[in-house]
Amino acid sequence: MVLGNRGRNLVNVAATAVELRGVIREYGAKQARVRALDGVSLRFPTGSWTAVMGPSGSGKSTLLHCAAGLERVDAGQVFLANREITAGSDAELTALRRRHIGFVFQTFNLVGSLTAEQNVALPLRLARMRVSKSDVRAALAAVGLADRVRHRPNELSGGQQQRVALARAMVTRPAVLFADEPTGALDSASARLVLDLLGDLVVSTGQTIAMVTHDPVAAARADTVLFLSDGRVVDTADRPSPSAVAERLARLEG
Amino acid sequence: MFRLSLSTFRDRWPLFIGAMLSVAVGVALVESSLRVLAAAATPPIPPGLSELEALQLGDTYDGATTLMGMTAMLSTFLAVFIVSSTFAFTVAQRRRDLALLRLLGGGRGQLRGLLLSEAVLLGLCGVAVGMPLSAPAAAAQTAMLTGFGFLPSDFTSASAGWTVMTAAATGIGVALLGVLTASRRASRIRPLEALRDSGTAAAVMTTSRWVIGLLLLGGSVVLALLSQSAGLLIALALSMTLTMTGGIALSLLSPLFVPLTGRVFGLALRGSTLGGLAEANLRAGVRRSAATAAPLIVLVALVLGLAGTLSSLAKASGEELARTVDADLVVESTGADAQRVAAVAGVAVASPEITVPMTLTMPVIDRDTDEPEEESVHSGIVAVDPAAYADTHRAKLLGGSLGDLRGEAIVATERSEQQLTLGSKFSAQLGDKALSLRLAAILPERISTSDDFLVPRELVPAGALATAPAQTLVRVADGTDPAAVADRIRAANLGTVSTVDTWAAARSAQQQNTNVRTMIVLMALSGLYALMAVINAVVIAGTERKRDFAVTRVIGLSRPQVVGMALIESWAVTVIGLFLGGLVVAGTLAGVAAGTARAIGVAVVDFPWTLLGVVVLVAFAAIGATSVLTTLAATRPRPISLVAARE
Repeated sequence: MVLGNRGRNLVNVAATAVELRGVIREYGAKQARVRALDGVSLRFPTGSWTAVMGPSGSGKSTLLHCAAGLERVDAGQVFLANREITAGSDAELTALRRRHIGFVFQTFNLVGSLTAEQNVALPLRLARMRVSKSDVRAALAAVGLADRVRHRPNELSGGQQQRVALARAMVTRPAVLFADEPTGALDSASARLVLDLLGDLVVSTGQTIAMVTHDPVAAARADTVLFLSDGRVVDTADRPSPSAVAERLARLEG
Repeated sequence: MFRLSLSTFRDRWPLFIGAMLSVAVGVALVESSLRVLAAAATPPIPPGLSELEALQLGDTYDGATTLMGMTAMLSTFLAVFIVSSTFAFTVAQRRRDLALLRLLGGGRGQLRGLLLSEAVLLGLCGVAVGMPLSAPAAAAQTAMLTGFGFLPSDFTSASAGWTVMTAAATGIGVALLGVLTASRRASRIRPLEALRDSGTAAAVMTTSRWVIGLLLLGGSVVLALLSQSAGLLIALALSMTLTMTGGIALSLLSPLFVPLTGRVFGLALRGSTLGGLAEANLRAGVRRSAATAAPLIVLVALVLGLAGTLSSLAKASGEELARTVDADLVVESTGADAQRVAAVAGVAVASPEITVPMTLTMPVIDRDTDEPEEESVHSGIVAVDPAAYADTHRAKLLGGSLGDLRGEAIVATERSEQQLTLGSKFSAQLGDKALSLRLAAILPERISTSDDFLVPRELVPAGALATAPAQTLVRVADGTDPAAVADRIRAANLGTVSTVDTWAAARSAQQQNTNVRTMIVLMALSGLYALMAVINAVVIAGTERKRDFAVTRVIGLSRPQVVGMALIESWAVTVIGLFLGGLVVAGTLAGVAAGTARAIGVAVVDFPWTLLGVVVLVAFAAIGATSVLTTLAATRPRPISLVAARE
């Protein structure tokens, strides 16, 4: 079965892009041990947009980092694009980041000394792939920044910087896009624009998105919302309204 | 990938320029030392000199060659140390950038490749910039050597292919070496670190820092202990090595002292907001503080350690004269006049010691290899009257007897690196006469080498003695006033008379003068290089803190307050550098004291207090001024523009 429009074969019929099984992640020394993830099992289905919500300290970011292979888990298993990455070597995880994963962060994390165009081309260069100028421009055009290719990050607004970051994440056509509070640093208009772009990716290209957010408006744009509390998935909602998300979140925080 | 380096260069040029300059100046110093060394090692001996004059000129060049050899060694050592500490610091400063590359799919090999190719490029630029600088450096070194009389005034040097190649290879080599360890560390940076806002929470005391620091510290302690049991010359060599190993050891371990010093400053400035902030910053920026303190530690250790060693030895040589000479007066004159002093009324004993123009070839046994060797000597040979000499010197012979110094015989002074054998034959050339001299007695090693070899007066033709320079030790008869005897010698026009104490002090001062000049040749350029490295580190540290400073200004600090805060921090680091450098100096001088105690029976240390004052002032002034200027430059942009900018 072929999913999406970019010819990536996913043999699994259940079509799960990312799966966590019984994942435990702890921090701190023996006395002050904190369990950030307490036996989390979940799936991010291929071609859909999943939001992870929860109060501060609920383990949202840790969940995202473990799912992307940025952090080791203490117990449990992590699968990404149908391979187990739980104990992947550094080289395997690097290859994974190159070919199968895109990242967008609250703090953009653009390279300040590079232009928008160069920032977008960077993952291709790191993956030692041929850098086609037209592909890079197309990626920037797709986020509405065709006229900003030669600008440096400090010459762009926050929303524009986040769109460059999105173009950079998508240029390698990753299996999964991980987004950590992508609208957290943006005004509402810019946030809406970014969310629209994410929505378009899912609908038009079948992109899998795993997003951590605090913002009920952002979460409500996802196909599925998972609620996390004290390192456990406590609830799931499909296409909830922003107010329903906010109410659920308020209950978790209270 | 490389475009990334170039664009990083645009943003962080002080980082790269600093690293490049550290290579350039190192290359210039190594090349100039090598070319002067090479020229001094193959001296042009002008025609028309007698054999002895030619040999003595050769000795002058040999001395300068040894001095330049030490200078070249010191330059290479500093180049390796400064370049590696600067490069490691620049890599540490880019930690977050490098983590971001890892996050975007950069492999470990790619990161290492990037940093190593940057190092090669910076090394090449450094070589290109440094080579033209070596000519003025060589001119300065030559001017010092000729001006101080270490070399004839017509001395010249020129670059040779091998000096250029060696210096270039050193430049690129140290750049690569400097970044090798740093790149291995950088490749282990975890991608997640890119997501921490400013938290470069990397451990500063890495395993390699601990291991190398402790090993070198242990080695330095062993050296310090060794120097207490070895001869004086070896003690000197060990002390100098000690300043280097101790300097590196303590700069590697310096992060351990940063928080403590921060605490002391915090207490001293108790109640002041800036003091508290500075203390917190010192704690948070241990890596930065250590990088600034490192070259200062080595600078202080080398300058004060060497100066202290040399001036202690000069003082010890005066002390040695006063202790070994058993006389009241010293007369300096020609050989002819010297032989008439004994006849002056009131003189009980007069021991004329006449410098003999003579060459010696002596059989020795090298203590390191136990191999027999031959060594030739062209100076320090004096003709004496053995009985009078024995009467006016308190020398404890290592073997033989001064009474055997008769006919074709000689007395020699042992050196710690060579062993002499009683009864062995020295071949000598005196004028056109070849002699074979039997070793009659062995004197213990002394600091002063001006009368290492004694031959009986009757061996030397009267004509040769008459015009040679001489000194005569005089002991006056019991109950006679030495001053009256001195007046009588003056009245008889037999030469310059002084008391033994004045004479010893003058000799010591003369030695001191030579040692100061030696020190200047050795350290002048190297010291400036190390000072440049200190300033370099302050500039790099300051410009990298733009955002840091902006945040404190947004919180409510005025620009002058930020400048004040940074100044307190940099002075705290200065204190660390001076203190740790001072520890090395103390260890070195303890070794020298032990060495002199063994050689002359009393520990002699001359701590260079004036130089210490100068070093302290220069360190505080240079680091303070650099810190203020850098902070002013770093706080020029409006703070909000930096705080808001997210990368």
